[in-house]
Amino acid sequence: MNRDERFESEALPHARSLYGTAYRMTRNAHDAEDLVQETLLRAHRAFDRYTPGTNIRAWLYTILHRVRTDALRRSGRRPLTVELDGDGPAVPPAQDALATGAEDLERALSRLPEAFRTAVILRDVEELSYQEIAETLDIPIGTVMSRIHRGRALLRNALSGSAR
Amino acid sequence: MSCPSEHVTGYVDGVLDAATRREVEAHLADCPSCREQAAFERETRERLRALPAPEPRPGFEDALRQAIRRRRPSRLRWALPLAAGLSALVFWGRGAAPFVAFELTLDHAKCFSRARLPAQVWGDEVARLAPWFEARGTALPPLPHSAGGLALVGGRYCPLLDRRAVHLYYAADGRHVSLFVIPGSLHGEEGFARRVAGRQVRLLRVAGSQLGIVGEHRGDVEAFERALTTTVATLLQGPATTR
Repeated sequence: MNRDERFESEALPHARSLYGTAYRMTRNAHDAEDLVQETLLRAHRAFDRYTPGTNIRAWLYTILHRVRTDALRRSGRRPLTVELDGDGPAVPPAQDALATGAEDLERALSRLPEAFRTAVILRDVEELSYQEIAETLDIPIGTVMSRIHRGRALLRNALSGSAR
Repeated sequence: MSCPSEHVTGYVDGVLDAATRREVEAHLADCPSCREQAAFERETRERLRALPAPEPRPGFEDALRQAIRRRRPSRLRWALPLAAGLSALVFWGRGAAPFVAFELTLDHAKCFSRARLPAQVWGDEVARLAPWFEARGTALPPLPHSAGGLALVGGRYCPLLDRRAVHLYYAADGRHVSLFVIPGSLHGEEGFARRVAGRQVRLLRVAGSQLGIVGEHRGDVEAFERALTTTVATLLQGPATTR
């Protein structure tokens, strides 16, 4: 299997999971697609630097985070904190998800400041370890714990008045 | 007593060292508020994991695959510098004495390795060969019909990278010399006398003509050089024909 075939078989299957995180980071389907595409193009160029056997998802999330940071820096914007727009998210409104208040949780998550939201997503949705999150976001492990803690506390506040 | 709420998060996620974990456990036993925090975090973690993932539009993954294939480092990435290198080599090689010497040596070796010389015109006197070349647009300068015991046998046109040279064959007793008449000028040819690919090569200008001599033995090449620079120069005083 050559390099390109390995990339397609090892990295591309994570595109959907990357998209989920990208969508929750950008809250816009178009921006999320752009973010994932740029992430995978960069990953493809840098694939020789990926160490086989290590967590490729964590490696891809590191690139995703860098691409996102670069894009925000270029646009002179800070991470967005606006709500999901009225066009509707790409989240499928599964009946059981609605029944268990998943919509409220998704909305509360989307309202978190991006730094906390990203930490919570990487930990609780993507199930990366603290060490992997520290490497992905290039922050100390103590800061990872602090951001996850703050993110969950903000979620708790947001959900305390809603139909949990 | 202040609550170690960040450590409660670490406790829920199982990332604390043993000592800190024991401290948090002791605290949780006495603190309903932190127990609520821990319960909320566990529950929320499970609910977040169960959230339906945002789905990309249909065809997104195929579009991604195509985008990556389009942007793959193509062969052109290597071909372009290679082509540029070759172009530079060709540009440098055009008329460069070492490069032309190499071409002449290859042709000498190729022709004399054949069972029968690939001559286009045969003859033991330059005067017999000259009309054949002249009819094809090449006027031969005065040249010897023999030197160092090697005698003219015949000749042909030899294609070089950017021009066409006259290749005259001289032979005797298993020794071979090629005398080339090269149109135009070369750069770096002044005093060029080297061994190239196992052959002795001499490039020189005589009576306005660019010549090249290639042979297996240095003595043979020097004999032709002497013949060209002395005998031929003398012949220039007479009619522009060859003996």
